[in-house]
Order: sequence, then structure tokens, then C-alpha cells
Amino acid sequence: MRLMSSPWFAACNLALAALAAATAAAATRPHYGGTLHVEIWRSFETPDPPTSGYGMPDLARAFVITRWEAGRRAVYEADENAPGGRPFLDTVEIEMARSLRDQSIDLELGKTDLVELGPSELRRQPAGRKVWPSAPVRLMALVFGSRVEDARIREALALAVDRTAIHNVLLQRQGEVSAALLPQWLSGYAFLFPAAADAARARMLVAGLPAAARAISLGVEDAAARPIAERIALNARDAGLAVSVVPQAAGADARLVEVRIGSLDPALALASTAASLGLPEPPRADSPEALYAAERALLEGFRVIPLFHLPDVYGVSPRVKGRPGITPLGEWRFENLWVEGGRP
Amino acid sequence: MTFRTRLLLIFTVAVVASVALVEWLVADSTRQAFERMETQRVNGLVAQFRKEFAQRGQEIVRAVNGIAASEAAVNIAISADYSPYYNDAASLAAAHGLGLLELVAGDGTIVSSAEWPARFGYKEDWLAERADWESPGAFLKREELPDGVTVSLVAVSTARAGDRKLYVAGGQQLDRDFLSSLVLPEGMRVLLYRNLEARFSPAELVGGQAEDLPRVQPLIEEVQQRKREIGRTLGSGSSAETFHALPLMGYQNDLLGVLLIASSRRELVELESVLRRTGMGVAAAGILLGIALSWWATARVTRPVRRLAESAARVATGDWGATVESSSADEIGQLARAFNRMTRELVAQRERLVQAERVAAWRELARRLAHELKNPLFPLQITVENMQRARERHPEQFDEVFREGAATLLAELANLKQIVARFSDFAKMPAPQMQEVSFNELVNDTLKLFEPQLAQARVRANAALDPRLRPVQADPEQMTGVLRNLILNAIDAMPEGGTLTVRTSALEGGVRLEVSDTGQGLTPEESRRLFTPYYTTKTHGTGLGLAIVQSVVSDHHGRISVESSPGKGTTFRIELG
Repeated sequence: MRLMSSPWFAACNLALAALAAATAAAATRPHYGGTLHVEIWRSFETPDPPTSGYGMPDLARAFVITRWEAGRRAVYEADENAPGGRPFLDTVEIEMARSLRDQSIDLELGKTDLVELGPSELRRQPAGRKVWPSAPVRLMALVFGSRVEDARIREALALAVDRTAIHNVLLQRQGEVSAALLPQWLSGYAFLFPAAADAARARMLVAGLPAAARAISLGVEDAAARPIAERIALNARDAGLAVSVVPQAAGADARLVEVRIGSLDPALALASTAASLGLPEPPRADSPEALYAAERALLEGFRVIPLFHLPDVYGVSPRVKGRPGITPLGEWRFENLWVEGGRP
Repeated sequence: MTFRTRLLLIFTVAVVASVALVEWLVADSTRQAFERMETQRVNGLVAQFRKEFAQRGQEIVRAVNGIAASEAAVNIAISADYSPYYNDAASLAAAHGLGLLELVAGDGTIVSSAEWPARFGYKEDWLAERADWESPGAFLKREELPDGVTVSLVAVSTARAGDRKLYVAGGQQLDRDFLSSLVLPEGMRVLLYRNLEARFSPAELVGGQAEDLPRVQPLIEEVQQRKREIGRTLGSGSSAETFHALPLMGYQNDLLGVLLIASSRRELVELESVLRRTGMGVAAAGILLGIALSWWATARVTRPVRRLAESAARVATGDWGATVESSSADEIGQLARAFNRMTRELVAQRERLVQAERVAAWRELARRLAHELKNPLFPLQITVENMQRARERHPEQFDEVFREGAATLLAELANLKQIVARFSDFAKMPAPQMQEVSFNELVNDTLKLFEPQLAQARVRANAALDPRLRPVQADPEQMTGVLRNLILNAIDAMPEGGTLTVRTSALEGGVRLEVSDTGQGLTPEESRRLFTPYYTTKTHGTGLGLAIVQSVVSDHHGRISVESSPGKGTTFRIELG
């Protein structure tokens, strides 16, 4: 089987993004000054701002933190000595712990400039709303704990989940259905992992198993993901499994988790994803075939059941100008943005 | 038991029986009347509950029709992509006050489910099986929910947009919340059994308490079998309840549940209890009043009878002049007057009898005296005549004749003296001087005195004395005389010899003394007349011995009797004490 080169695809994506940004930049002249108001649902309760991960840590390359209210608010000001030059924006104000629904309302009311959009909120956006999506960089997967020893149970659940229905309805077709760890845009072979549901086979696998063995607790800490877990439980019920959704991931037989793809290098991304999911480190692969084999080996045994690859999606106020401030990997690049009302 | 007591008892029994019967009749008729009222009340309450239930169904129908007619439903119906609406059922259900709501596409695919949001995309084929969902109104349906199966009251309506349609199926779960939301009359409660298992399952009883289970289970099982309404009173006392068990049939005519409408009988039982207590109080008062009136009435009725009885008792004690005052003209008055006539007649007859007896006694005494005196007088006359003849004809023999005649005269005069002494003794009969007497000793001493006579008469004496016998109050001399008299009679009765038995035995505070012989015995006529004065079966007796014995025994407040039959001997029995 001949696979497409993933890095090549990534480069193409980046080039397209840059082209789009240049087109947008040509529309208006940049202005200095102004404050970009951003709302996010996450809440960082740490004494200091986060320095790793995605989002706020990305601002450190062009902005400096000037105010930190743990869990509530952060203010970044333009770094006059930024490597790429001073950002157009004077300030970026970030409000934390805002629900997706509140963020969407605030954007609608003009109280903020940049918000995260979930599937439901994305559907409700008015026509013409500027939306910045990343590539599908978040892997949603089921991860089994050690207590579920029978592989037939795990495989039955993998076969029972109707990914397409969840993708169409609950995810509003955001991202893509997948049974692979790496997204199709990054690996090029994700489609080779079968993602179709087969309830009949799932029922066959668990037929004859005692009821206690067929009872699984599914931990979901993110309330936004709970409807997905409930649907998985319903699909599992059709297959003869008794899945109960619990709000605590710790101690549950299985967990519904999200893992972020951290690299444009497929091999590195696979390794970091495997590490995040508690899978063994895959062998270093220098070809797509080897990478496919390594990923296939990781997914054997159904300890991890990949479900979807989801993008980060941001709604943007019309005041915000400049090329998309979100990279394909979901990184914040606000240094080239400006807002109307800044210094001319 | 006196006549008055007996009459009072009869009156009391009659009063108690009458009052009890009346009380029972009144209580029973009252209870039946209250039962009828209670039945009407319960039926009214059940009808009210049915109305409330039907009203709740109409509310659901209105809500579902409202949703189906809404712009939102029409928008969903005409939409080519249902996925944006998967969450709309929850908000529509909340806005219309429904607990359950499913929006289902024309092909039976669930677009959105309020009660189970995850079921989008699943099929509800039963909706497509019927063309017209408006006509049935609200109906019961078995409902699957994430946490199990339940029964719901649902209605279905259809939103149409051209050739596209959207089923709107909404309603309420029949659960504890539903039951508690129903407006129930005072004293009524509702339990629901969801018929979701093949057999009776306690977990499916909603709205009840643990103690209800054993009571209602048979009722539920009966409804499960017969599939029709059943009414029954369960429990007892003030905790009793009248249950109406209504089968809840689903739209496919399957039994989905049993609704138990329970109406407390506490008020009825308490009312009946108050009435019963009041009735019993009134009955008790009536009985007491009846007894009091009976007491008065019996006293009034029995007073003449009591007077009559007292007069009769006086007559019995010898007061033959007793009379009864009679003023009434009824039977008691007639009886009193008859009694008075009777006593007057008795007094007159007694006087006549006394006079006749007195004459007879004198005649008898004269006869006895003549008889007793005639025997010694005749030798006296012969002797005196011999002496006169000897003086006149044989003077030389006169002295000898005089000596013999004087001896004979003296002997006969002694005999006459003895006869006179006996009559004198009978006439005297002094009062007994009471003291403690040991009859066993008295018997032994007396028998010892008679030993020579007994030996001469060839009579064997046998004393059978009771060692338990205690001393008895008696006159020892008179009782010795009594015993001597009886022993002499016994010896006389056995001229050919025999056995004399003297037996004592202890009585309650007294003594029984028996003197038996083995002589010829007495005829019944002789036995009857034996104690009559001057009656004797012997040729030489005065007939006063046993009369004196009877007199002594009578003076000791004792009783003497004789038991004899010809050829079998005679036994005299004296009982004192």
C-alpha cells in the first residue's frame, strides 16, 4: 500500500494558511495599539501563568504577562523586544473559566473579540461570522484501565460505538471520524483503521460472558463530553454491554479522554500521543509503512479506542483584523493581529 | 331465691335482651348507612381522581399539540438535516412542562429526545404504525429510559410541512413525582404498580410504603389476572383503607400498570366507634334504668305475695289467726282474700278439732284408766269379798285369809300406785338440763346395768360405737331413760332371745343413736302409731314409754324414727344436734 507523505501535507497546509493570511492582510492596513479580549473555558488555578501546552503559553513569544489572577484573568502586554518585532496589539486580556455558551453570547454582544466555539455554538453562529479553525489536532479516545482484562469486551465496545452518528449530531460534523491515533492529515493512513460500527459482531463477542464482566464504568471529567459518553453507553447497551457514565475518571474502568497532537512530525506525534495515552513507546519509524505498523501495534488489544480527531475552533469579532491568529496545530499567533480602534 | 329476686332476674334479662337487640339493630342499620355513605364518598373521590387523571392527559395532549404546531417543530420537519436539532426536545419539553418529549422524523428516526438525548438516530417504529395519532388522546405507554423502564402517559401529535412530517411524542412519567402532583382529596392516596416484570416486583410499587406491600400484592395480582377494576377494603381498625385497583391499559391493550386509589376509613371507623360507644352508653343507661324500674315494679308486685308468704309462715308457726291485707281486685287480691278465708276456716276447724281431740283424749284417758285400774280393782274386790265371806262363814280361818288378803291388797295397791306414778311422770316431763354428754359412755354404762336382764332373756348385746363421736349437749338422765326404754322394748321384742345392737355415729355437730333388735318386727300400721300415747303392742304396757321417749327427743330438738318390717327386727334411730 502506497501512503502519501504526511510532512508534505503539513507543509502544504501551512503554505495555504500563510496565503490566506496574506490575502486578509491586504484587506486593511495594520494599526498599532488596542486590546484583544479573549475568553476561554479552561481555568488555570496555578500561582503563575502556564508556560507549556497550548493557548496562553504561546503568547510568551511576543507578549509578557503583566497581570495574573489565577483562574480568572490574565493580561499580557506587547513585548517591545519580541524576536519578530513588536506586536501590533498593545494588550491581550484573557478571561478564564467562561462556558462555551457564555463565550458565544459575549461575542455576539461585542463584549469580547475571540472565543472558543463548541459544536453547538458553531451551529448557532450568524452567517458571515469569522471562524478560525485549526486542523483536527485533538484526539478523542476511549482508554481502558487495567481492570478490563478481557480483550473481547474492549473490542466489543470499539465495534459498538457508532462514530458517524456522534460526529454528525453531537459534534456537528466538526473534525473527522477516526479509529487511528494520528489524524489523516498528519499520517495519511488513518483511513486504513476501520471505524464503522458493527453491533452484531460486538454482541457475538460478549455473548456468554457473565453480566459482571459486561459492566463497565466510563469516566468523563469534561461535562461537554458527557453527551458523547452517554451515546457510547447507549451503543454499548445495544451490544450487550452495560456501560455506566461516571463523572470521575479515576477508578473508572474506562475513560473518555482528549489528547492533543503535539508535533507536525508524525513519528514524534505518535510517540507523544502514545505516551499521553499510557501506551508503550512505539519504535522509531522512518517510513510511513513503519509508522503505520507501529500505530497498528499500539492499537492491538483495544486498550485505546480512537474515536475522533477534533479541531480547535474560534469565533472572531469583526473588529479583529489580520491573518488567522490560530495555526493548524491550534497555536495562538496574536502578534500580527490588530483591532479596530487601535492607534492609526 | 325469692320470688321477687326471680322476678327481678326475669325483668333484668328481658330488659338487657331488649336493649341489646335494639342497640344492635340501631348500630347495624347505622353502620350500613355509613357504609353506603362511605361507598358513595369513595366512588366520588375515585371519579374525581379519574377526572384529574383525564385532565392531566388533556394537558399533555394540549402541550404536545402546541409543540407540534410551533414554528420550531415545523422548521425541524422541513429541515433536510436533523442533526442541529438533536438537543431541541429538552428545551421544548421544559417550555411546555413535559417530562418526556421525543421529536421523531417521518420515517421513525428520533431527531431529539428530552428524556434520553443519546437516542438520536434510533428508531421509534411504533409511531409509523398508526396514521392518526390525534384521536386516541393521551395514552399509557411502556417507556425505556437510561435508568430503566417505566410507564408514561403520553400523547402524539404530528407537525406537517408539505409532504414532510415530524412526530411529537410527549408526556409524563407515571412516577412518584407524577403521583404527588395530582390534586388528591383529603384522606386519599394513590399508589402505582408498574407492570413491567413478568411477576410481582416490589420495586415497581410507586408511592407506597414498605408496609403496603404485603397488603396490596394480592390485589395487584388479582388485577393482573382479571384485568378489571377491583375494590376491596384492606387492613383493620382505623388503619383500614378502601382500595380501588384500576388496571392501566396501554395503547395496545396491554396491562402496563395498576393504579391503587386508597381512601382511608379512619373517619368512618372513628365515627362508628363514637356511635358504638354512645350506643353502648345509652344501652347501659337504659339497662340500669330498666333494672331500677324492675326493682320498683317487682317490689310493688311482690309486696302482697310477700305478705301472703309471711302470713302463711305465721300460720305454719301456729299463728292461725294471721291474715293478709288486701285492697286490690286482681288475682293477688283474690288470693289474699282466699287466704284470709282459709285461715278463718282453719282457726274454726282447729278449735273444733281441739275440742274433739280433747274429748277423745279424755275418753282415751278414761278408757286407759278404766282398763288399768280395772285389773287391780278386780283382785281387790275378790280379796275383800273373800275376807268378808271368811269372817261370816269361816271366822276361824279369817286371820289366815286376812293375812293373805292384806298381802294381796297391798300388792294390788302397789300396782295401782305404780300406774298412777307412770301417769304422773308422763304429765310432769321436766325440761332437760343440758350438759355435755358422751353417748359412747352413756351406752356402755346403760348396757352394763342391763347385763343380768339381757343374760336372763338370752339376748346378746352388741355396742357399735363411733370413736370419733364427740360430747353432745343433752340431759344425761333423760337420755339414759330414753336408752333404757328402747333397750327394754328391744328385750321385750325378743322373747326367744336374739341380738341387741346399740350403734352410735357422729353427725355434723351431733350424734346418731340406733337401737336394733332381731325380734318379730312391726307392721307399717304399728310403726305409724308407735309413738301415740297409750298405744302399745304389749299386753302389760301403758303405751306411754315411746311417747315419753319421743317427748324427750323433741325437747332436745332431735328426731326419732323407726325402721321395721315384719320378721326382720326393728331399729329405732335418734338424731340430735
